[in-house]
Formats: sequence, structure tokens, C-alpha cells
Amino acid sequence: MKIKVDYIARVEGEGSVKFNIEGGKLKELKLNIWEPPRFFEGFLVGRKFDEVPDIVSRICGICPVSHMTTSIRAIEKAVGFIPSLEIKNLRKIMSLSQIVASHLVHLYMLVLPDYHRLDMLFSRENPPSPPFTKGGKGGLLEEIKRLIRLKEAVNNVTAIFGGRPLHPVAMVVGGFTKIPSRDEIGKVIKGLESIKGDALDTVKMVSKLHYPDFRNNTEYVSIISKDDYAVNEGTIASSSGIEVEEDDYLSWFQEEEVPYSNAKRTVMKGRGSIMVGALSRLNIKFGMLHPEAKKAAEMIGFKILGKNPFLNNIAQAVEIVHGIWECIELLDAFSIGNYFFKVNVREGSGSALTEAPRGMLYHQYELNKKGIIERANIVTPTAHNFMSLEESLKKLVNENIDKPKNELSLLCEMLVRAYDPCFSCSVH
Amino acid sequence: MEKPRLGFFKYSCCAGCEFQFMYFQKHIIESITSFDIVYARMLKRGGNPHGPFDIALVEGTITESWQVDELKKIREQSKQLFAIGSCAIDGGIPAIKSTMPELEAEKKVYKDLSTIHSIRPHSVDAYIKVDGYIRGCPPGERDLHEALASVLTGKKPAFLQYSVCVECKLKGNICVLVAYNMPCMGPVTNAGCGALCPSMNRACYSCFGPMKQANGPALARKFRLMGLSREDIIRKFTEFGADTIEFRRVIETYED
Repeated sequence: MKIKVDYIARVEGEGSVKFNIEGGKLKELKLNIWEPPRFFEGFLVGRKFDEVPDIVSRICGICPVSHMTTSIRAIEKAVGFIPSLEIKNLRKIMSLSQIVASHLVHLYMLVLPDYHRLDMLFSRENPPSPPFTKGGKGGLLEEIKRLIRLKEAVNNVTAIFGGRPLHPVAMVVGGFTKIPSRDEIGKVIKGLESIKGDALDTVKMVSKLHYPDFRNNTEYVSIISKDDYAVNEGTIASSSGIEVEEDDYLSWFQEEEVPYSNAKRTVMKGRGSIMVGALSRLNIKFGMLHPEAKKAAEMIGFKILGKNPFLNNIAQAVEIVHGIWECIELLDAFSIGNYFFKVNVREGSGSALTEAPRGMLYHQYELNKKGIIERANIVTPTAHNFMSLEESLKKLVNENIDKPKNELSLLCEMLVRAYDPCFSCSVH
Repeated sequence: MEKPRLGFFKYSCCAGCEFQFMYFQKHIIESITSFDIVYARMLKRGGNPHGPFDIALVEGTITESWQVDELKKIREQSKQLFAIGSCAIDGGIPAIKSTMPELEAEKKVYKDLSTIHSIRPHSVDAYIKVDGYIRGCPPGERDLHEALASVLTGKKPAFLQYSVCVECKLKGNICVLVAYNMPCMGPVTNAGCGALCPSMNRACYSCFGPMKQANGPALARKFRLMGLSREDIIRKFTEFGADTIEFRRVIETYED
């Protein structure tokens, strides 16, 4: 029996899962990311350093801020510019607000329909309706309203500092070109305060979904810092106790080409598969979460290192709480000042690791003395997750091999969605 | 009443346009329930990619030959087809690749090119007739709203067809080009962003793509007088317009 999901729905980008079952045994399974390559690492060569953040933000329409902050930090390292603490804090606000926004859309619009047996969250035939009416089978009016309130409040945070929530413009090499007024900041803080209840309700909602009972063996990897729940800066840590400096990334991690996929697969040299993303972050630095997020996780009885990748969805909900509370604190501490510095170019190379919504993201650049890019290297979260996702799919199929064809393929799709892949990023 | 049948198609891009459509801030409920969503992969499982469609939205640059074949079929099955976003309209960021020998760019990314089948990046209208352009990167909310509302009401959409300069003037911005000597692409760039970059104290980098019939060479001469090198000028005009007639005139002038 051959099963093909040619174009996995409700994920970012284009990928397929194909497998073959013969005599009750899984013969072969391939995750084929057929998203067409755009060759960013090729055409970035010859571009000027200050164009890079604007160009790489177009790698991904959901996590543009991550590509921007990562490239900015790598370039600033290459030219020897050290940003002030204030600038770092603003970048953190940008990253956190984007992580929350990305998780929200993923949880509500991409994941939730699976658990309500819907093709999409709501539609013409199934409009948002309260649960007690007979008309709509979804009855997800409350959830949809909550999503809208949450998304608007966090998008406003990205927008006041970046100019717009998607592909922001004010965040550049050297800082921020414009800073909002106190009034504007006051307004977004109010907005964030107003969605605190909604964020906790999201955690409750996600915790009540019936996740498939499944375990995989993989190494969780994320960046850590002794000061905070690291998002933009830190050292690499794994669940088996490895700690690696950011600059040593390439001596530990290796990208390899996969004949049946346009995305490359990244492995830790001499070790097995790794998983990055919200679940890995929680597994590795739970203690650094905001107290409210910890409380929320405890409220639903979330235990770390549970080995079920489907629980990535719960981890995302917990991070939504963390992001909102931490953004409020950072915004409260915000002071008007100088947030833009001129950067003097020089020859050099620099690399940076950050936590994108979907996990660890790596950028590396070499610049010549005119500030022109001579070499670019980008490794995305989905490339890091590739091997783990493929292994998990194999294990999932083997454990459910007797299920009917359509149920099995839906289960595989659900697992792919739980990893929250970004295929556009992974190919770039 | 029958709702218009909508299809959304993604080619080589960041999926930001589909994201902008499927989560259309403030309009999400109306935009999704006013249409019969026949096909939109990021929003809906299943669906029918073969049509017919009353409205088809196409995002992304065309970089592989199968996309051309599919695109032609979608065109045949669609009453109205709009290109959405800078990639689909102008080639956008992926078209930067055509400023260098293509193999050179490809070799920098893959060691084994035997499984890569890319063609030269082009806009959607290089292959098919398009009924309208929802410009921007990300697409402007005003034009997206206009396109959807026009299909619902059966009128011809009126898209913004003037430069970013007009938006700056309407906002009362100080001109960053004249007053601060910033190399602003606003004069040749289509409006729709609300003059975002100049309002944020930086020069426009043309993410909405060239305005129709913009005089690129005139602005390039101004940049030359301001002290920009030939390479700098080419970079300005190739970030979002490497594949457009308007900007190619500049590129050809300043190339060695």
C-alpha cells in the first residue's frame, strides 16, 4: 500500500510525505520538501551589508523578524559593532512579539482544525458560531474571537517598533531608525494587559486537546543564557548536557544535501537527530520562563522532557504567556533615548544564533572592506528538525500500521503540523 | 446566493501574501466567509486545485517550469486572476538571482545540482494575462481589500497607481531625499505602504515595486549626483525590480 500526501496542508510552504507499506511493514518513508529554492545564499553575495536584513526577512512571511535580528547581529559582529542594552531589549520585544504571533496563528488556524475534525478553522459552510447553536459544526466563535483579540494586540507591538508587523522596516544594522512615543507605548501595554486572560485561556484550550499517545527519542536543542529565557543571544545547550559556544556552531553541526528534498538536513556531527522549537526550549530552560508562564504550565500539569512531539503545541501556548508577560515588563522599563548608531564597515566575518518561533536559526556572513557580502550561510529551524521529523514519522507509521489509509495519513499530517515546520525557510 | 469561488496559489516566495490573506487583520471573518474557499493550501486541508474559480490569487515568482504549466491551467479556469505581492508582480526578491550568472548563484547553495531544476525567475505576467496587481511586500491592505470587495460587488477594482511621494505629501512628511540626502526610491515606487520608510526616518527601498512607467534613469542620475557609486545604484534598482522594464533601463545604463 502506497500512501502519498503530495502537498501537506496548513503548514508554511510546500512539502510532501510518501510511504510504502508492504506486508504490514513500513518499507520506505520520505519527507520531500519540494518548495522551490530561491538561492538566497547565492544572490546575497555582492549585496551591501545594510540591505541584508531587508532581503533575508523575505525568506519567511511568518518569522521575518527572526531572520532580520539574526542577520543584523551576525553583521554587527562581523564589523565589530556592539549594540547597547537598550537596543538589545527592543530587539527582544520584536522577537517575543513575533514568536507569540506565530504560535497563535499556528495553534488556532493550522492545528486546532485537526482536533475538531475540520478542514479549516471556519469557512462559508461552517461560520464562527457559539457552541450551543445547531448551525455550525465547529462552534468555535469564542476561540476565533479570542484569536483576533490576541493577534491584534501582539501585532501592534511589532508594528509600533518595526513600522509594520510583516517585514518590518525600522529595525536595521545599528539599531532602530525611529522610536515610538510614550503614548503609543502606553497604548500597546494596555493592549497586552487586556489579553492576559485570553492567553491563559489559550493554554487551557490547548491542554484539553486529545493528543495522540506517542513518544520519540531525540535530543532537544536550544540556546540558553544565564540572564534570561534566551531568544536572541546565548550558547547552545542540549538535553544530553552538551554546551557549545555560538561561534563553534559549525564544528558541531553539519548541513547535508538530501537527494529527494530541496531542503537540506542538519545533524549534530556524530550524533542522532535533534529537535528544536518551543518544546525544546521549554525542556531545556523551563526554569527561566516568566513566573506566570511557569504557573500556567503547572496549572495544566505540563511536565518537561515528556518525549511526545505533539506536546509542542502545549509548549507554544506556554510561550505565548511568557512572551506577553515579558513584553509588558520590557515595555514598562523602556526609556526614550538614542537607539540608532552609525556602523563603520570593515572586513570581517560574523555568525549569530537566535530562537525563531520554530527553533534555532543560524546566519553567517563574510564581508569585504567595502561592506559587500562575500559569503552567506543560513541554517533554519526546519533544517534542524528534518531528521527528527522523518524519524518520528517512521515510528508513528509503524505504531499505527493497521489504521485505515486516510486515518494514517491524517495522523502523519498532524505530526508534521505539530513540529510547526516552515518549508519556505528550510529551502530559502 | 452562490459565493464567489476563490483559489489561492503559492509559487516561489515566503508565503507572506497567503498569510496576509488568511489572517486579514480586522477583516478575517468577512474575507473568509464571503468566499467559497476552493483552494488555499495554508488555510485549508483538501480542496480542489483545478477550479473553476471566480477569483484566483497568485503569489510568488515563477522559478520552475511546472509552475508555468500549472499557471496556464489556472488562468483558463479563472474568471479573474490577480497577481499578489512583489514576487508575483515584479519577480521581487527571488529575481535578484538574475543579476548574476544563474549557475553561479545555484552552485553557492547546492553541491549536487542534478535535482535542481530552476529556470530564470520571472513575474507571473511574463507567462499569462493578469487582471490586476495587488502590490506590495507584504501586500498593501488597501489594495487587497479593494480586490476582494470588487469581486464581491462586481465592479472593476481601482488600485493605487501613484508613487510613494504622493503618500509622503499627504502625510506631511519632510522629504528624506531632498532634505536629508537619503537615496530614497519613493519617486519611482508604487504607493500602498503609506510612505512607511520615510515616515520611519529611512529611505524607501522599493518593496512595492516600480510604479508603472516610472522614470528610473532620472532618479538614478540624481543618486549619481549625490555620490552613489554605479554598483550602489544597480543594487538599489535590483532589490525589488531586477525583472521589470522600468528598472532594467537603469541597470543597463550603469552596468559595465
